[in-house]
Amino acid sequence: MIHAGNVNAPDEELAMHYAREFYGRRGESHRLWIVARDAISELDDPDLLKPPFDRSHKKPGGYIIKHKLEAAKARAASEAGE
Amino acid sequence: MTVRFVPQLDLAQREALAELLLSLADDEFVIGFWDSEWTGIAPMLEEDVATSSIAQDEIGHAKALYEMLAELTDDDADRIAYGRAAEDFRHAALLNHARRDWAFSVARRYLYETADAVRLTALAASTYEPLAMLAGKMRREETYHLLHADAWLRRLADGAAEPRERLASALRTLWADAQELFAPLDGEAALVRAGVLREPMHALDTEWQGQVRRRLEPITGELPAAAPTADGRTRRTDEFAWLHGEFTSVASSEEAAIW
Repeated sequence: MIHAGNVNAPDEELAMHYAREFYGRRGESHRLWIVARDAISELDDPDLLKPPFDRSHKKPGGYIIKHKLEAAKARAASEAGE
Repeated sequence: MTVRFVPQLDLAQREALAELLLSLADDEFVIGFWDSEWTGIAPMLEEDVATSSIAQDEIGHAKALYEMLAELTDDDADRIAYGRAAEDFRHAALLNHARRDWAFSVARRYLYETADAVRLTALAASTYEPLAMLAGKMRREETYHLLHADAWLRRLADGAAEPRERLASALRTLWADAQELFAPLDGEAALVRAGVLREPMHALDTEWQGQVRRRLEPITGELPAAAPTADGRTRRTDEFAWLHGEFTSVASSEEAAIW
């Protein structure tokens, strides 16, 4: 689910029509979720979203496995050759 | 026009089929062009995009119908769409009027979409399979057009006195000409016999009136007795002649051009 964008509409019914025309008229959408602005809960506290500690261990790039992978491949090849 | 061989249809039926396809295509083409006159000036930006997109959908339906007709008559879809004189168009008299104000365009769209729904349901059961399939496809998109027109009808009808009166007045003005969406075709009897058309046009008109009177009369008051007439698809107006000049202006600027 990605945020396609927003529309201004006087009610939910026309919001549905406008969302369809803005974000679906070229067949680019499979499904649209249309929510009134005041029904959206916003989370924007930087301490929750970007805490002041290193996060690199939570990203796949935080692990350098290239050499381990090469060693594992070499080991597998030599075991197969025995 | 001369028509191609279609296995299950005789010559009279094929000519009648060509007449039917032309009337359907012209209806979609002309309402598409009238509604595209709102591009840039609709009541709000979102509605501008929606109305323009719906108008394009109608032109898309017209294209599919003109292509089916061109296949049948060994003609060219662009020539049929852009190469005819205004008096050779066969759209219903409902589409002879300029767009006027927003309530007028909403009233026309509502009348058109409800009648088109009745017509497409009948055509989806046609024994002429290519038409039945196309009608089924069109109906999937027109269902949404009808919801959009219906949303606007309610907004205007349930709004303040002025929008409600403008809407009611437009509906009364267009009521008689709307019947012409079911104006009889010359070859209609042949189409009904072959099952290309499930029911005669006047029967579809009765069915449609039964649906919309209940909906419209609370807004308009009692609508007069009305029925399709013989020249319902041949009457033309100066307003349509103007639109015809607009939508043919580019094609006629250089007739030998390949676009």
